[in-house]
Order: sequence, then structure tokens, then C-alpha cells
Amino acid sequence: MRLGMAIEMRRCIGCNACVLACKAEHFLPPGIFWNRVIVSETGKYPMVTKHIYPVRCNHCAEAKCVEVCPTGATQQREDGIVWIDEDKCVGCRYCVMACPYQVRTYYSDGDKEYFPGQGLTDFEKMGQLLYPHQTGVVEKCNFCMERIDAGLAKGLKPGVDREASPACVIACPTSALHFGNLDDPYSEVSVLIKEKRGKPFHTEYGTDPSTYYID
Amino acid sequence: MIQARPYEFMVKYTPQREWIVRRGILLWLAFFFIELGAGMFFVSSFFNNLWGLLIGWLICAVLGGGTHLVYLGHPFRFWRMLISSGWKTSWISRGLYFVTVFLLLGAVHMGLLLWATPAIPLLIVADVFAFLVIIYGGFAMNYVNGIPLWNTALLPILYVVAGIWGGAELMMATALTTGATGLGIAVEEWIRILLVGFIILLAVYLISVRYGSPAGGVSVREIAFGRWAPLLWIAVVALGIALPLGVVIISLLAGLEATPVALLYIAIFCGLLGDLATRYLILRCGYYHPIVPSSVYAY
Repeated sequence: MRLGMAIEMRRCIGCNACVLACKAEHFLPPGIFWNRVIVSETGKYPMVTKHIYPVRCNHCAEAKCVEVCPTGATQQREDGIVWIDEDKCVGCRYCVMACPYQVRTYYSDGDKEYFPGQGLTDFEKMGQLLYPHQTGVVEKCNFCMERIDAGLAKGLKPGVDREASPACVIACPTSALHFGNLDDPYSEVSVLIKEKRGKPFHTEYGTDPSTYYID
Repeated sequence: MIQARPYEFMVKYTPQREWIVRRGILLWLAFFFIELGAGMFFVSSFFNNLWGLLIGWLICAVLGGGTHLVYLGHPFRFWRMLISSGWKTSWISRGLYFVTVFLLLGAVHMGLLLWATPAIPLLIVADVFAFLVIIYGGFAMNYVNGIPLWNTALLPILYVVAGIWGGAELMMATALTTGATGLGIAVEEWIRILLVGFIILLAVYLISVRYGSPAGGVSVREIAFGRWAPLLWIAVVALGIALPLGVVIISLLAGLEATPVALLYIAIFCGLLGDLATRYLILRCGYYHPIVPSSVYAY
């Protein structure tokens, strides 16, 4: 099984629901984003095209970040998910450099509050208990692997069942994000990528990303 | 935590920041001191100069190793680099092995030189590891294929020449300080060759990167004509290259003994400054390609 994502850009309305869902799911501290919505324009007036790209870790099959990690903190599971064992990370940031997609963040400001000077919100306090983030380590999207593992344990199917799918996919109000097994030719993502000619970002880096973009 | 503003992020050429901004400065210094120290040890070994060996070893271990450890987010976990299998693919991990073995062999060699008969095979192995220490930083950066300024085979070669050149300069300073004129004359021959090699390599490196890719072009424009141009033209070209080159020509024509010692010290200092500034520019102006296509920034 190789888990991956297909993103239909024509469906994306740039609402940032996926960004907020990720923030809530992982109790991400202020300034940390595991996914983003990038808006760009090409062309010149009056022939201008607006592009909306939801971006996140591509969970590359040939992940540079995994190769350069000196401690083995960045690892790749059998299902293709690239994740970081925070307890092993020394904070050398070589992976931040090596990722050509710039989707990794070094977390250093541990004392930041969402409302500076007003103390931690209940959300932040809950996050410290349920999903603590170490400072001095690198963070990134993990395709909500905790959800996927919990879902798989219940016999659910990633990308098909909500409980076994990433939070961003579930939160998307226009169903622009699709998740599933890229190795299964009949999965929704595989069919979408094949029929609508999905392409990953910057194949020239030789990373074989697992996130595909569909125009 | 260093992040670009969201509306700039990924839609334009973005400079790397983690390895040069804030605590990243320490990594710049770490690479410089590690390679300078190993370079000095390497050069000193050819002249069997204990002071040079010791000073090079100390620069590498204390200044280089120390700043590198302080740079890490979790310095006390550095041992994980030694026990993991990261060395198979990670140049940072390999570098730690190289530095560790070099420091161990270097210490043993110096001990033998002081209290017993030095073993030449041991010195040769120590020199091999000193060379690997000098070159690994270049390979670590060269591996980053998202940054065209770094992703060139010329970078490790440039770093090797710069490291050994810096080591030779420090060796010259040691020779001047201890009054070893014969040693100074011998080291100066190294400096002449290495300085010319550095100039040629730096020029070829920048020109090749400039025309290699759009992001490479942005990097080189930023170095040569952008915000950091004064650092290139003043610190690198005028002080780091032209001044030492002038002093080298003077000493070549007039002889080392006839060259004012103060001028030699100034040339050594400026040469090291130029090396340091070159490394800063290479780290500071490492630009990534935009991830998404864009002609203007929407928001």
C-alpha cells in the first residue's frame, strides 16, 4: 500500500478549511503550519489566471528528507508515510534544507501563545496534554497517521472511511482533496490521477511525490 | 522558527534561512572552523610542525565542533548520529564520523610526536580523514538539489581549496610568530597555488551557477549585484583576494624575508576574512525555485 493524495485545483476555493482542520487535529502551535493554501496568478491583464494550490508534505517515495536525516528521526513507513520521531531529532535542519518543496518547519519558539500576554487558551492547554510538540525539532505533515492507524485497526479503509482519512480531506467543503492507496488501480485517487492526468510537483528533483495535482 | 510570509512562500525565489539566520549563523561558523582546523592540520602534517597540528586540531575540535553542537536544537542527542544508520545516506552523519576519527587519530599522532616515534601510516590515515573533514561540508550542501547554488560539483572542490588555503595561511601565521622563516617560505608556495586556484574556482563556480538555472541566476545576481554585493566586492574580492594576491606578488618578487611582517599578517587576516565572507554569501544566497508557477503574488 502506498498512501497518497490527489488534489483537484479547479474545486479548491481557497477557504483554508484544510489548514484549520490540520491545526486543530494536531494542536499546532502559533506560526506552525503543516499544510498551506498558496494562491498565485499567471498571465497579464486581461488574460490572468488564478491558481489555488493546497500544499503539504508530498510523502515522496524517494524522500530526500529521509536520506539526509543523520539520526533516522525522519522515517518512511511501509505505506509511504514520511514521519518524524521527535525524540530522535537533533534539530540539525538538514531535512529542511534538503526538501525541495519547503514543507518542513523548525519549531523553536515554544513559549509563543495564540494571544500573547493573555495566557494559554483551553485549546492550547489541551494540545499540550494530547499532542505535545517538542521545541528544537523539525515538524511536518504526517498524513494524520494516527487517524489512519486507528481507522485501520477498526478495519476501515483510508480515503473511503472518514475515520481512516486525514483531517484536511474530511474538512474540505468542495471535496477537492482525495486520499487513498496509489498502489490500488481502482482506488478513487488512482482513477482520478489516471483519468484527469494528475501530476506531482517538480518531478525533476527525482523524489517521486505521492501528492498529485489535477488541473 | 523561521518562516517566510505566507503570500511570498513558494511563489517566488525563496532563500534558505535555517542555515544562516539566527542560530544558523553558528552553522556557518562551524563549517568554517571545522574545515579551517582540518586544513591547518593537513598542511602542518607535511611540515611535521607540532604547533600547526595542535592549533588546527583545537580549532576543529573546540571552535568547529563546539559551534556545531550549540547550533543543534538538541545538542545532547548528537550521539544518535553515531548509533543510527544515517551515515549510509546523510553527509552530516558521515561528517560526524569523519571529525571523530580525525580528532582521535590526530590526537594519537600528536601524542606520538611528543613522547615517542610518530607512525607515518597513522599520519597518512589522519590526513585522509582531515581531507574528508574538509570536503564533507561541501558534499552536505551539494546534496541539496532544491538549491542550485549548492547543487554543483564545484562546491566541494571550492571548499577543499578554501579549507586548505585557510589552513596554509594559519600555518604561515604560526611560522611568522615562531620565527621559522624556512617554514614560512615553504608554506608560501602552497598559498600561491591555492590562492590562484581559489580565484579561478570561485569565478568558474559563480559563472556556471549563473547560467545553470533560473534560481542559480537569482542567487548569483544577489551575490554580485544585489543586497550582498558589498560583501562580495569588498570582503571577498578586494580584501580576501586582491590584497593577499598583491602581497603574494610582492613576496614573490622581493622574497619573503624582505616583505614587511605586518603586511603578511594583514594578508593572512584578509584571506581568512574573504574565505569566511565567501561561505556566508554561499549560505545566504542559496535560493529555492518557486514551487508553484506565478507571475505576480496574489496575496
